[in-house]
Amino acid sequence: MYLEQLQLTNYRNYQHLDVDFSPGVNVLLGANAQGKTNLLEAIYVLALTKSHRTHNEKDFINWQATFAKISGTVQKSSGRVPLELLIGKKGKSAKINHLEQAKLSQYVGQLNVILFAPEDLSLVKGAPAVRRRFIDMEFGQMSPRYLYNVSQYKQVLRQRNQYLKQLKYRQADDQTFLGVLSDQLAQYGSAIITQRLDFLTKLEGWAQTLHQDISKGKEKLTFDYVQHLKGQATLKQALQVDTAHEIELGTTLVGPHRDDVRFLVNGKNVQTFGSQGQQRTTALAVKLAEIDLMKAQTGEYPILLLDDVLSELDDARQTHLLKALQHKVQTFLTTTSLSGVAKTMIEAPRVFQIQGGHLKRRTKVNG
Amino acid sequence: MQYPEPIAKLIESYMKLPGIGNKTATRLAFYTIDMQQDDVTDFAKALVAAQRDLHYCSICGNITEEDPCLICRDKQRDQSTVLVVETPKDIMTLERMHEYHGLYHVLHGVLSPIEGKGPKDINIASLLKRLQNDAIKEVIIATNATPEGEATATYLSRLIKPAGIKVTRLAHGLSVGSDIEYADEMTLMKAVEGRQEM
Repeated sequence: MYLEQLQLTNYRNYQHLDVDFSPGVNVLLGANAQGKTNLLEAIYVLALTKSHRTHNEKDFINWQATFAKISGTVQKSSGRVPLELLIGKKGKSAKINHLEQAKLSQYVGQLNVILFAPEDLSLVKGAPAVRRRFIDMEFGQMSPRYLYNVSQYKQVLRQRNQYLKQLKYRQADDQTFLGVLSDQLAQYGSAIITQRLDFLTKLEGWAQTLHQDISKGKEKLTFDYVQHLKGQATLKQALQVDTAHEIELGTTLVGPHRDDVRFLVNGKNVQTFGSQGQQRTTALAVKLAEIDLMKAQTGEYPILLLDDVLSELDDARQTHLLKALQHKVQTFLTTTSLSGVAKTMIEAPRVFQIQGGHLKRRTKVNG
Repeated sequence: MQYPEPIAKLIESYMKLPGIGNKTATRLAFYTIDMQQDDVTDFAKALVAAQRDLHYCSICGNITEEDPCLICRDKQRDQSTVLVVETPKDIMTLERMHEYHGLYHVLHGVLSPIEGKGPKDINIASLLKRLQNDAIKEVIIATNATPEGEATATYLSRLIKPAGIKVTRLAHGLSVGSDIEYADEMTLMKAVEGRQEM
């Protein structure tokens, strides 16, 4: 799918905007604080009705106006779909094909976007919880069964932790019931782990190809799912050993809520041994692999939004990245200077100069 | 301006009921003032009687006027099966089916450490005592399909099965007369898992 047209009214610093986009690469060029990210955000909001930057929806509305409107036309394999999102002081309303939707949840899913912003580096650099959240969010979108298992698991985990505390303070003494809770936790936990491994294997395959392209074949990316099973073969067994320690701490020490994914480049953990550039490339490859995973699941490529991502990649990595995307996915990228991108691009992108909330299409790429 | 004491007390009493807040309680209280005196007296009597005359059956834990309850006293019923439910309301629902003729047992809750309910806090001990009677051959567990309901079912089966009594669990799946189109993903998944050969 791709976004053909976009119209903005009173959206942040855009009073009126009406623009046609290329199905390929669109470059949003401009100095700082001119509205590059605002434009990316508008596309993101049109897709998901929520922003990645703020929870306060009044921020969307230009400070001189009372409402903001985002509308656009999406070209899909099944035809063209006009979308419209109206943001007032009291709430939002959405239209698909000029028909008002009773629920926003019916609207979301018409336009699929993947955003890559500088914060996404935490996927590689951050704590294990960041990676678990990424996995649960992404896989949950694609599999209702995964979502169900995760919610059941969380509930049983709360019960088990509470019971461990009660055992600790001698408010309870029934070991059979602890066994029941452990087995129930192991049942949902193993289902989650099986699905995670399955999804991660698929994601790894795509991420590997992308990573190889971006790094010119010099580096090989692999995923390693890390479980702490205390030397046992299965989660069920691991939950049976060492319950004394668990009771002492009043918390469950093994299971998918403690697992992690390690990203290895040429066999070395990129979180600790990788350079800034390698970490960035890894995060980018993992995120871009989502494109293929989404295509495999929904049958349509999403739209890719890259917010200020290129500036930290060297020329060669930029070239390979853009080549990998060029004929596949509609891409929007923001940058303050064109030279690096323009020189390495094989086919000219559509370039827009942004200044103070106005867009001007540039015909000449260089200069 | 304060309400006179009698009506203030009435409002306060209504507010103790579930789902009733200040405004609804006030509306009900003013309605009560205008009611016929006989109706009010009957109402008050019914409230007192409901608590005074109702007991929990000493065998199955169901609510009853006489102990043991009607179902437990009925010798026509199949004495070899016991159906375990969470609340007395579940018995009413199951009885509407007119197809189950065995006995019941009410747990009055499920195992949930978060709510402070352990094996000793729900009606399990009396169930185990009943099972020492050789007449009972099968225990059907009909707790809800929540994680807590499932844990309670598993716990009971671990206690009961070693005694050589058959333990079964209600099936999950599509509701009768419904369209597959409107079923949610998890119900469908359970229905596919629990499919039966034709």
